Amino acid sequence: MKATAVGSYPKIPNRPRPARLRQAIARLDRGEISREELAHVQDEVTIEAINEQAEAGLDLVTDGQVRWDDDQTYIAQRLDGFEIGGLVRYFDTNTYYRQPIVKRPVRWTSPILLRDYEFAAAHSPKPVKALLTGPYTLAALSTDNHYGDRRRLVLDLAEALRQEALALAAAGAPFIQLNEPAIVHTKEDAPLLQEALAKMLDGVKSETALYTWFGDAAGILPALADTPVGLIGLDFVWGPANWDELRHASFSKGLGFGIVDARNTRMETADEIAEQVRRVCEVVPAERLHVNPSCGLEYLPRETAFEKLKTLAEGVRRAGAVAV
Amino acid sequence: MSALTTTAVGSYPKPDYLARARSQFSQGKLDRGELEKLERQATQYWIRSQERLGLDVLVHGEMERGDMVAYFAGEPGGQTIEGMKLGGLVRSYGNRYYHKPVISGKLRWPGPMTVGMWRYAQGLTDRPVKGMLTGPYTMVEWSFDDHYPSRRDAVLDMAQVIRREVEALVKAGARYVQIDEPAIHTRPRQDFDLAVEAMARVVEGIDCEFHTHICYGEVELIYPDMLRLPVKQIHLAFKNTNFEYLKLLEEHPFDSDKNLGVGVVDVHTHVLELVAEVKDGIRKTLELVPPERVWILPDCGLKTRTVEEAEGKLRVMMEATREVKRELELD
Repeated sequence: MKATAVGSYPKIPNRPRPARLRQAIARLDRGEISREELAHVQDEVTIEAINEQAEAGLDLVTDGQVRWDDDQTYIAQRLDGFEIGGLVRYFDTNTYYRQPIVKRPVRWTSPILLRDYEFAAAHSPKPVKALLTGPYTLAALSTDNHYGDRRRLVLDLAEALRQEALALAAAGAPFIQLNEPAIVHTKEDAPLLQEALAKMLDGVKSETALYTWFGDAAGILPALADTPVGLIGLDFVWGPANWDELRHASFSKGLGFGIVDARNTRMETADEIAEQVRRVCEVVPAERLHVNPSCGLEYLPRETAFEKLKTLAEGVRRAGAVAV
Repeated sequence: MSALTTTAVGSYPKPDYLARARSQFSQGKLDRGELEKLERQATQYWIRSQERLGLDVLVHGEMERGDMVAYFAGEPGGQTIEGMKLGGLVRSYGNRYYHKPVISGKLRWPGPMTVGMWRYAQGLTDRPVKGMLTGPYTMVEWSFDDHYPSRRDAVLDMAQVIRREVEALVKAGARYVQIDEPAIHTRPRQDFDLAVEAMARVVEGIDCEFHTHICYGEVELIYPDMLRLPVKQIHLAFKNTNFEYLKLLEEHPFDSDKNLGVGVVDVHTHVLELVAEVKDGIRKTLELVPPERVWILPDCGLKTRTVEEAEGKLRVMMEATREVKRELELD
């Protein structure tokens, strides 16, 4: 059983700690610092995010997606074929992203996350999982002005992202997580997601996971499980129907158990988490379990995110102690 | 009211001296009395400006408010609902962050929050000034909740708080109260009934004309359901989608008991609309809703524009409205 994060970590702390990244981006916008100077601050904040996750007690950390504005544009901007459009709401949050617009055939030209992964791995006391927005969700959250056919776009994205996954695997990334939150909102596309992931993960040797959030996989968990990933991440806070779905599906993969609410500041207790972990262990054996927040942590203030991770790690420890 | 009544949605840009004063106030370098004096000076400016431009029903401009939720939840210089406080910084997009409010205890009305400013603004003019509140669903949806067991419990308690404020505004003499619900279509399938119920608890039995503002988002998901909101007027941001909402009204007629507020200028662009394009939008709307039930306004609050841009947009709106009225020989 591992305690882990799902993705993003809040980029800036609250007073009295300085909001260095926010200030650096503002200074870049005013022409007061160079891109290299900003990159240096991003590196330092990445190390902070990694260290806070490790200090909280996580066994597997992310780079906090400190350099990412959102899950979509960081990837789309670096693929050939996209332009970036206006602000749109990210699912039912009060957070917005600039919508990628597909203008031409999408193609991978050079590694997008490789340097980020290598930097994080070199500076982390814990294993780092690489995060990649999945082809289905990237297509679903973009505007398509070129293909006029969702399937062709998704499959071209799968091929493009396969190159990225291969590059990460070749660099030794032990664990690659694909983020596919859109599929729990448009479940009828599960067959397309299956087709895309089969294509994308062909020849990728790392361990892989498929994560969803903000909804439940009721009705499609068997389809999600019938993809070439080792672990499925489900949000049990904003998708409580995942409990029933999990009990009724014959589920033999690893489970990313999203049980700490990453969208609200109310604190769970370690005992509550331990109790939920014990409950889920009745269905999925502990060794196949990753316990994590319900989604990325950027919806929370930094200090709350850290406290929630600490509580989560403590809950996992308590559940493990009883299980042994 | 007669045909094509004109009004505005809520906020206007703050003049530079007020923006500076607010920042000094939050750093403790200016006292509250000084800040209020400048807020009133700026409010007077906007009342006079709207009179000059010829709007029928005025807004006070929200010179005292930063954010429409945080103002009621601990924003510096704001009026805080009991049980709310300002939380830590959360990113909204790009490099933009805001202090997200937190519901940390039972919500209670702390006494009049908006009445003083409303009374001041109304005292400056013979034209009606709208009372301006944020609706219970939006107040809760845009806050963290450390206290209530469910969103429903929080929203319904918030409705009681907003109701008390409405009662205070009406007692002070407000004839129009606008209750904004820009978050109402966040989770339309699960939550729309709750938003309607909450609005009913705010307005039921109170003798006043209620308006609600719903902007952007997926309006098609809540139309015609939104007609169940117990208010006299619903306004929508028509210009932002170049009047595509009219298709919704073609498929399902707008409620004959309600007035429609039509946003005719886009508040998120520097570009000034042409009088001709605004007239075109108004005339298309009039094919579906009769003029005595159509109100004309900007898409949303104008606070993100400069003072000149905001007045420019209002001027185009007024000129287009006057020309349409003349051409159609309305009142």
